[in-house]
Amino acid sequence: MIDELNALLAQAQAELLSAHDEAQVEAARIKFLGKKGALSGVLRGMGKLAAEERPRVGEIANSVKAGIEALLDRAQAALEGRALLADLSREKLDVTLPGRPQRRGHRHAVSQAMEDIVEIFARLGFHVADGPEIEWDLYNFEKLGMPPDHPARDMQDTFYLDESTLPPPPPGSPPTLRTQQTVLRTHTSPVQARTMLGQPPPVRIICPGKVYRCDSDVTHTPMFHQVECLHVEEGLSMAHLRGTLDAFVKAFFGPGIKTRLRPSYFPFTEPSAEVDISHPLCGGRGCRICKETGWLEVLGAGMVNPDVLAGVGYDPERVTGYAFGVGIDRLAMLRHGLDDLRLLFENDVRFLQQL
Amino acid sequence: MKISLKWLRELCPTDLSEDAIAARLTAAGLEVEGREKRSLATDVVAARVVSRTKVEGTHLSVCQVDDGAGDPLQIVCGADNYDAGDVVPLARVGAVLPDGKRIEKAKLRGIDSSGMLCSGRELGLGDDHAGLLILPRETKPGTRIEDLLGLPDTVFEVNVTPNRPDALSHLGIARDLAAIIGATAKAPQTSPLDSGVLPAQVEIEDAVRCPRYLARVIEGVRSGPSPLWLQERLRSCGVRPISNLVDATNLVLLELGHPLHAFDLDKLAGARVIVRRAREGETLVTLDGKERKLMPDDLVIADGERAVALAGVMGGQTSEVTAGTVRILLESAVFEQAGVRRTAKRHALHTEASHRFERGADEATALVALQRCAELIVQLGGGTILPGAIDRYPSPRPPAHVWVRPLRVSAILGTPVTAKEVDQRLLALGLSPVDGNDARRLWAVPGFRRDLTREIDCIEEVARLRGLDTIPIEVPKAGIGETAARSPVQAATAAARAALSARGFDEVLNYSFVAERDLAALWPGEGAPEVIRVANPLTVEQGAMRWSLLAGLLRNVGYNLSRGAQDLRLYELGRVYLRKAEPRHAAGPLAWPASEPRRLALAAVGQRSPKSWGAKDEPVDYFDLKGALEDLLETMGLPPARFELASSATLHPSSSSALFLDGVMLGTLGQVHPLVAKAFDVPATTLVAELDWDALTSRAQIVRQLHGVPRFPGVGRDLAFVVDDAVPAARMLAEIRAADAKGLLEQVALFDVYKGNPVPAGKKSIAYRLSLRAPDRTLTDVEADALCKAVEARLTQELGAEIRR
Repeated sequence: MIDELNALLAQAQAELLSAHDEAQVEAARIKFLGKKGALSGVLRGMGKLAAEERPRVGEIANSVKAGIEALLDRAQAALEGRALLADLSREKLDVTLPGRPQRRGHRHAVSQAMEDIVEIFARLGFHVADGPEIEWDLYNFEKLGMPPDHPARDMQDTFYLDESTLPPPPPGSPPTLRTQQTVLRTHTSPVQARTMLGQPPPVRIICPGKVYRCDSDVTHTPMFHQVECLHVEEGLSMAHLRGTLDAFVKAFFGPGIKTRLRPSYFPFTEPSAEVDISHPLCGGRGCRICKETGWLEVLGAGMVNPDVLAGVGYDPERVTGYAFGVGIDRLAMLRHGLDDLRLLFENDVRFLQQL
Repeated sequence: MKISLKWLRELCPTDLSEDAIAARLTAAGLEVEGREKRSLATDVVAARVVSRTKVEGTHLSVCQVDDGAGDPLQIVCGADNYDAGDVVPLARVGAVLPDGKRIEKAKLRGIDSSGMLCSGRELGLGDDHAGLLILPRETKPGTRIEDLLGLPDTVFEVNVTPNRPDALSHLGIARDLAAIIGATAKAPQTSPLDSGVLPAQVEIEDAVRCPRYLARVIEGVRSGPSPLWLQERLRSCGVRPISNLVDATNLVLLELGHPLHAFDLDKLAGARVIVRRAREGETLVTLDGKERKLMPDDLVIADGERAVALAGVMGGQTSEVTAGTVRILLESAVFEQAGVRRTAKRHALHTEASHRFERGADEATALVALQRCAELIVQLGGGTILPGAIDRYPSPRPPAHVWVRPLRVSAILGTPVTAKEVDQRLLALGLSPVDGNDARRLWAVPGFRRDLTREIDCIEEVARLRGLDTIPIEVPKAGIGETAARSPVQAATAAARAALSARGFDEVLNYSFVAERDLAALWPGEGAPEVIRVANPLTVEQGAMRWSLLAGLLRNVGYNLSRGAQDLRLYELGRVYLRKAEPRHAAGPLAWPASEPRRLALAAVGQRSPKSWGAKDEPVDYFDLKGALEDLLETMGLPPARFELASSATLHPSSSSALFLDGVMLGTLGQVHPLVAKAFDVPATTLVAELDWDALTSRAQIVRQLHGVPRFPGVGRDLAFVVDDAVPAARMLAEIRAADAKGLLEQVALFDVYKGNPVPAGKKSIAYRLSLRAPDRTLTDVEADALCKAVEARLTQELGAEIRR
């Protein structure tokens, strides 16, 4: 009897394996488990068994029944799965159709660079200071060591404003201002003088903004952007200037970038230096863009000229300072591998949308 | 400044290579920006014409020439300015001329020619091609022309900063190089001044503008061409050779850096020189042939009758040295810097002389240059120097003395520098100790270094001589509480930019100056804002400071549409410039000259969604722009704005609005006025907005207070009303809110506006979803129904609305 029961299980397994639809599964259920089914048929013979054998056979019969039920459920689930799959397969997406375009706006390379620079200097403890772009000659030149007829004024071709189209001089402006010419600031450095005149040391500021020079070619636009950096405090030296420059350049271009200082001249700093960085594109090995030198001139820097400090009422024997001005447009170009500055101001969306 | 390396090596002998010299000069602040190699093919040599025979019926001659190499060569030549016995340049077969031409054996008219006799121009020596370059007869045949020229050579383009007039000469650069490398510069030797009375008079009327005037007289000179080597020196430094007499002054200029001028003494009326201001209405024809109208601020050199030179800038034609000149008055003077600069600027005359005087000349060098030049003129043009010099020196400049403290040097450079090193560096530059000790020493500064007047100037000298790479790298310490955070305005701006990017707006950056007619076109009609003009714009397109960002933005729209773009969303954040006081900096010494508020401007045109296979074609409209701005304000933590039909001349009167925040108007938005669209050649459907960025960011709340979520369920109710078309949505909303006495209305969302059948003409159907919630309990249907009734009643009563069921 036990053999019969086991045979039954094996038979059910074989039959259900080839069941292709619900009718066949249902037929199998009736055939094996129905009231008149095969299992009932076998169990009807239980009465003939010895009493001591019955519990064991009964146990096996139950497990065979459970086994067949499980087989039936599995067959049923398999059928349903196939049916669902068939159903789901009826309508196929063309997954290769393009994704629905999302409109994404783009930052301007210069404003992005400017924001990044402000962030970097914020980490170094520099606050953002502000000043006008329409500026008195006094702050753009005179307070920075460039009196009228100073040859250093040739270093910056200046835009002047039509005085008759400006508002009347503000009340309280020093008498010298009233006869001064008004310019479009040629650098962000006038903010140095304005900030120091407005507060005692220590001063630790940057000033990002637009500046203007009468010049236009592949490497010059009449308007461009600078960030001025000024730090005045007791005990500052050129080593601090180098340290700040180095930290800034590494934060902006990457940790491998080196800086190099060359002596130069600016009327409002002394000693003054031009600052080169190792060319980020060729890694300092030398290429066409850096004229095979591996270095690129990116900014002018120096220790704040004692005359400038004295001119704003600071004591140059007590405090010293360093300052530098960076052309942001040039940094943005370097960062993005551009060689025509004018692209930055054409505002062609085919260019803008590359960022 | 162009510096001949060969010349530099004569003045500062050194074994250093060309590269090393360039590197050392650059590292010390005399940046070598460029280099030019100058040479001439070695197989161009001097050759004596032994015989010359004309070829009948042609312009050619057959010459036998002796090139010093043996048998005479036969050359066919087309020039006509030479005879047998002349020595001329011969380019041998195989020579390559500066223009790239290679000399081959040739047959001209069937006659063999083994080389070419050359003109100056063919050798790259100036423009003269009237005939062959005639060399001095004593030149040995076979001598390389390159040797006669002093080639090969390298010319450095040295960037001399405006504080270093002393370095605008070969001697100046040589002195610096010597100090850098520890060598000694060899200045040209001149003989001491003798005494005598000269047949000329000099008077200085303006001693401020002319602190010193020296003159010598040379008689019996002969004008002629300078030797080739001298011509080449001038040419290599960018100066055109003219004649031996003029070339001598230019050579000394390049050598010692002091400008000189040679007058034809016989052309100076009364043999007098008067240094004075120009008279009102006075004119002068300068050497460049231009007639200059002079101003009383111009300093001139005059003779007994009239102005003969623009002092320190350019000589005049009437007293010019010419081929017939026999008596020279040689001027070596010092003119005041600012005055020369004003005159040079006024007459747009930037010359080698004005460049140096503007930066500052040295009174002592003036004397050396005078002696050197007088001797050179005699060497080149013969004649004799009359004994004695005129020396008018009304205002001697006192020598500069500077105290230098080595400790201060160390403090500024951030690295220890010993007193010994400071001494050694300053001595190398020609300074001499006068007083003091190792802690503090007084130095006398040579006259040619007029930039060294303060301790810091000397510190810079020490720094550049020892090299800035000796300065260590040290990051300044941040004091307690000194780390700078983003200001609220910066944070709001960053958040707004991110929001604009997310809404698909591309950022543009326009010039602050625009065409004035563009600003006029932005404001058809009366009352346009006043323009601030640039006095010297590069073009009229950049003549006016913008008072609105829209001038630039609309140009960007037109530019991009004309290049095939279809959908544009642009924004710009920047300043505008108004002819009024800046409210934030209106008075006091730090006042701003004009008002420069920040603005945000947007422009949109084209389709709402990017063109795509599933998207509908729907043009952007006013409500897209309004939605974008509402989203922006929300991003910045600003309260909801109120919008009212606008009255900006730039915008369409019926499709635009003004934006109010807390009752203050902060901007306008909408479709551009059709006349503006036409002027900027953009579609009439173009939408723009311009907002007061300072006001928005000052009110922004980037850091928000957060709350929990509601604990009790809410109830939703949809209501639709039919009202007069003229009733604004904002009014309806206000009335709905007013009906909510218990404060249960959490949100009112307008979800449909419908006009047309079955809604009667002149009316609209407008549908709202009301979200109701009580904070402390579950709201019942009864309460919700009661509120809906109240809303219905109020709208009926106040606006004559009818509920749609």
